[in-house]
Amino acid sequence: MTLQHHFPALIIVIFLICAFIMPLLFRWRSTLCAPALLLVHLLALAMAVALLVRLYAGGPFYYHLGNWAPPWGIELKIDFLRVYMVLILVGLGLWIFVYALKDLAHELKREVTGWYYALYALLIGSMSGMALTNDMFNLFVFMEICGIASCAIISIKESRECLEASFKYLILSAMGTGCYLMAIAMIYMVTGQLNFQLIREALPAAAGLYPNNLLVATALIIVAFGTKAALFPLHVWLPDAHASAPSPSSAVLSGLVIKIYAFSLFNILFFVFPASFRQAVPINEIVLWLATLGILFGSIFAMVQEDLKKMLAYSSIAQIGYVFMGIGLNQPTALLGGFYHILNHALMKGMLFMVAGVIIQATGRRRVKDLNGIGHVLPLVMIAFTVGGFSMIGIPGTGGLISKWYLAEGALLANRLFFVIVIVLSSLLNAVYYLPIIINAFLNPYEGREPVKPVSRLMVGAITAGMIAVIFFGVYPKPVIVFLKAALAAVIGM
Amino acid sequence: METLKNLAHNYYYLVAVVLFVIGMHTMLTHSNLIKKVIAMNIMDTSVFLLFVAIGYIRGGQAPIMRDIGDGFYINPLPGALILTGIVVGVSVTAYALSLVVKIYRYYGTVDADEIVEIRSREQ
Amino acid sequence: MNEAAASAVPVFAFLFPILMTPVIMFAGRRSGRLRNALALATTVVTFLAVISLYPRIIGGEVIQFTFFEILPELHISFRVDLLSFCLAALSAFIWVLCTIYSIDYMAREHAGSRYYPVLIFTLGACLGIFMAGDFFTLFIFFELMSLIAYILVIHEETPAALKAGYKYLIMTIIGGLALFFGIIITFELGGTVSLSGGPLVQETSLLAFLAFISFLIGFGMKAGIFPLHVWLPDAHPVAPSPASALLSGIMLKTGAYGLLRVIFHVFSVELVKSGGWDKIMGVIAVITILLGSAVALTQDDIKRRLAYSSIGQMGYILLGMSILNENTLIGDIFHIFTHAMIKSTLFLAAGAIIWKTGKRLISEMPGIGRQMPFTLGCFSLAALAMIGIPPLNGFLSKWTLGLGALEAGMPFYVLILLVSSLLNALYYLPIIVPAFFGGLESDHEHGFDIKEATPRMLVPVAILALGTLIFGLLPSNIPFDLSRLTASYLLRGGPF
Repeated sequence: MTLQHHFPALIIVIFLICAFIMPLLFRWRSTLCAPALLLVHLLALAMAVALLVRLYAGGPFYYHLGNWAPPWGIELKIDFLRVYMVLILVGLGLWIFVYALKDLAHELKREVTGWYYALYALLIGSMSGMALTNDMFNLFVFMEICGIASCAIISIKESRECLEASFKYLILSAMGTGCYLMAIAMIYMVTGQLNFQLIREALPAAAGLYPNNLLVATALIIVAFGTKAALFPLHVWLPDAHASAPSPSSAVLSGLVIKIYAFSLFNILFFVFPASFRQAVPINEIVLWLATLGILFGSIFAMVQEDLKKMLAYSSIAQIGYVFMGIGLNQPTALLGGFYHILNHALMKGMLFMVAGVIIQATGRRRVKDLNGIGHVLPLVMIAFTVGGFSMIGIPGTGGLISKWYLAEGALLANRLFFVIVIVLSSLLNAVYYLPIIINAFLNPYEGREPVKPVSRLMVGAITAGMIAVIFFGVYPKPVIVFLKAALAAVIGM
Repeated sequence: METLKNLAHNYYYLVAVVLFVIGMHTMLTHSNLIKKVIAMNIMDTSVFLLFVAIGYIRGGQAPIMRDIGDGFYINPLPGALILTGIVVGVSVTAYALSLVVKIYRYYGTVDADEIVEIRSREQ
Repeated sequence: MNEAAASAVPVFAFLFPILMTPVIMFAGRRSGRLRNALALATTVVTFLAVISLYPRIIGGEVIQFTFFEILPELHISFRVDLLSFCLAALSAFIWVLCTIYSIDYMAREHAGSRYYPVLIFTLGACLGIFMAGDFFTLFIFFELMSLIAYILVIHEETPAALKAGYKYLIMTIIGGLALFFGIIITFELGGTVSLSGGPLVQETSLLAFLAFISFLIGFGMKAGIFPLHVWLPDAHPVAPSPASALLSGIMLKTGAYGLLRVIFHVFSVELVKSGGWDKIMGVIAVITILLGSAVALTQDDIKRRLAYSSIGQMGYILLGMSILNENTLIGDIFHIFTHAMIKSTLFLAAGAIIWKTGKRLISEMPGIGRQMPFTLGCFSLAALAMIGIPPLNGFLSKWTLGLGALEAGMPFYVLILLVSSLLNALYYLPIIVPAFFGGLESDHEHGFDIKEATPRMLVPVAILALGTLIFGLLPSNIPFDLSRLTASYLLRGGPF
């Protein structure tokens, strides 16, 4: 047994260990904390790449924690899609963390920085766990860790709005996990299994005997992950939570956390429920229609927001709708679009929240109508905002177009023309609220007496890197697309 | 009649679902934050109850390695899982309560409606 | 010649302006003269590069090459055939003249360092559209050009300009999305969006019809056809005059170009006719012609009148596309040349008047012809060409269009052409006649001072105005021959 064999578990474990020692390390040598967490990110990234190499060599494989084989032990599954998610989580987690290094000094008290790092590590670690696990109950545990960490990462900035938003989030998130646990209980009742693969094998027989039990479980699962990932009518917690959090938290919550729940839902729908079951119950249809409503209403709500970060948060509700649409269409090309959008939206929304953070830090403004002329004082940052906005709209040369292309193609292949129209319409809606901000920022004069505070180069650098990445994935998406195509072909046989 | 018999036979199922719905309803509709936290616990507990109940076999033995003749062991896995679940539940509760304390410090109340009122008055 | 070498020139032609954009931007920080010189040099070099393709294209060569694969089955590819060459050469030519004109015109305006890079970049994007080898590439350059042109529209940053610009931007986005919709349906139906194969869609269906309508909306938006023209009369007049000339003269034509490509490459003439889609275009064209001309009558702002006139003229081009026989197609392509030249002349001349006298309203212009005889002379020549007086080139395009309509047995369309010519006369003559013969009493105040704009502004106007005359007079009329070749190339795959 070489060390390499344990990489799947180590990716998760090093983050959790890091989270544990971070507050202690902060007491002892506070300057060491940030480099340590950076190092952990890099290590995890290296391990994820090593997993990828191993995947290319030998295909998907399993890892048994503590060498206990499935019915008893917890199993991690490593396939292309999961590693894709881990790469996004760790890679973009690293990117946002670099931004956070400087931003936190302005938003948090210095004493709690160590705790913030701990929560950040906990969050990334638990999300990686959610991406890799192949066990229903283990997924629940990681969900709870992720839930608490993401609430705490908001409430750590002890302002009244944050506490309130965080509590609201906590309650709804507890409801979500409660529903999920109930669903596990119901599935366990009829199958006696917790492992994805074993449940899948036991389900057809169980579905014949106890159909109602499974129906309720399915509904509970959709409610659970829908709440967590802000699927349309269950999104109420998101705007407050994402808008009031410190900017790096907003970036990681909007960019990564809601995606991982969508990914888990995908995993359960496609790997736990057999295809026949999915055809019998219109799960995909429900997800699809809710996603459509989310896409349209998220954008419409975003239009009337006065607060920049709230607008971005509502926009996230619309954008996560695309991911769910990919899942709901139940069509390989659309799924490809959805998965590409996970990467894309994580990049652009992360970047946009960073931009909002820089604007707030430099000028203290966060209302949309106060942003007139901001492009004159923060040109580079606003250019990044422009690129992000364009990507949301789907202008050629940005990643947004590519995901929309595949989603629309998938919808056409599935003979669902209506959803192509939804995609086109939502792009227009996005234009209606992103463009005025961009225009006003560059073409109106800047009015303000107080001087613009200097912004750390590292933060601007992180934003620039994001901007370049958004353009890169719009101009040269081929490697990722080819990778995803192969991955989807391998896992769902398209 | 068949349905009633089923229900009577699976009474623990019924109780768990009723508790679950009570918890969920209170959590979403009550404005008192403390009650929300309590409701959250009720909801969790209902699932624990269900989980433990399905693992139990009437007349079964505790799953400890010893000679039990023709008897059954009860399934140890749900119990183990629920232990984990309880730990998770406790930590969530603790965190939620700490948030309530902080909110109380800011607003002087733990009622969500009053908080909304206070905030709207300030704006 | 191997492929790489063969494709070097067209790649250079569209890439050079785009690459020069940052150079010009940085040059602008150091010295205005350097920036202007660079901008001019770029357009001239680009023009020469495009023209150098002439012998190869005329020999029937179609230059094709793929840049790189952006997605599986989707490429950034380029393809230069006769139609591409016609429009590319025309654009590059008019761009050179407009850049010369800009040097003095923009000297008074602010933000020259923003204007020139944008101007040059738009040239690159425009050439990219014309040389695109598939609809995806075309779409990318189309959006690029449209978005960058926004900066030209709002250049003066007045509230009116910003408002018009916003309208323009939203309409552009809608158009872009419609194109996206059309392209994805085409991709779904045909499996590719390349221009190099035969028609992509073989039979009519609901999806095909939807694709056609989306293309009509997307490209029609740019071309300013009814009812999608609403942005045009606001956006074209508020831009600086050289930019208006380009917007009206060239960028409208990208829409027409796109529609031609759609008709011949996505669908086919037979398919368009069998679906009855030509009727749709015909009705829209008639409305556009009459509406554009009629509203132009009521406008007092000279640039607004010209903008409405552009709408009417784009209607002619759409009309030609709806009839779709050889003569109308020749007329169509020739009218693209004609209108580009005439409308650029008119906008540049109007710009010279505004620049020199500050007058924008036609009611203030009586007698101006005696102050600026040369400018107004060119203006008159172009206006007469627009009305369709022989031997100017406007006559030739209308004649050919009319001939085609008669051949197709549609005398109604000839009537429309006549009526609209009459309307053209009604709105152009009231500018020209008073300009020379009106306002005599005010001469006591002004005397007979000749106050022309600078030579650098007059020369481009003169060249363009002469173009309208020469291409109508000379026996070997290059644009007309090109149009003939192109039309037969499109209809029959070439006379070669």
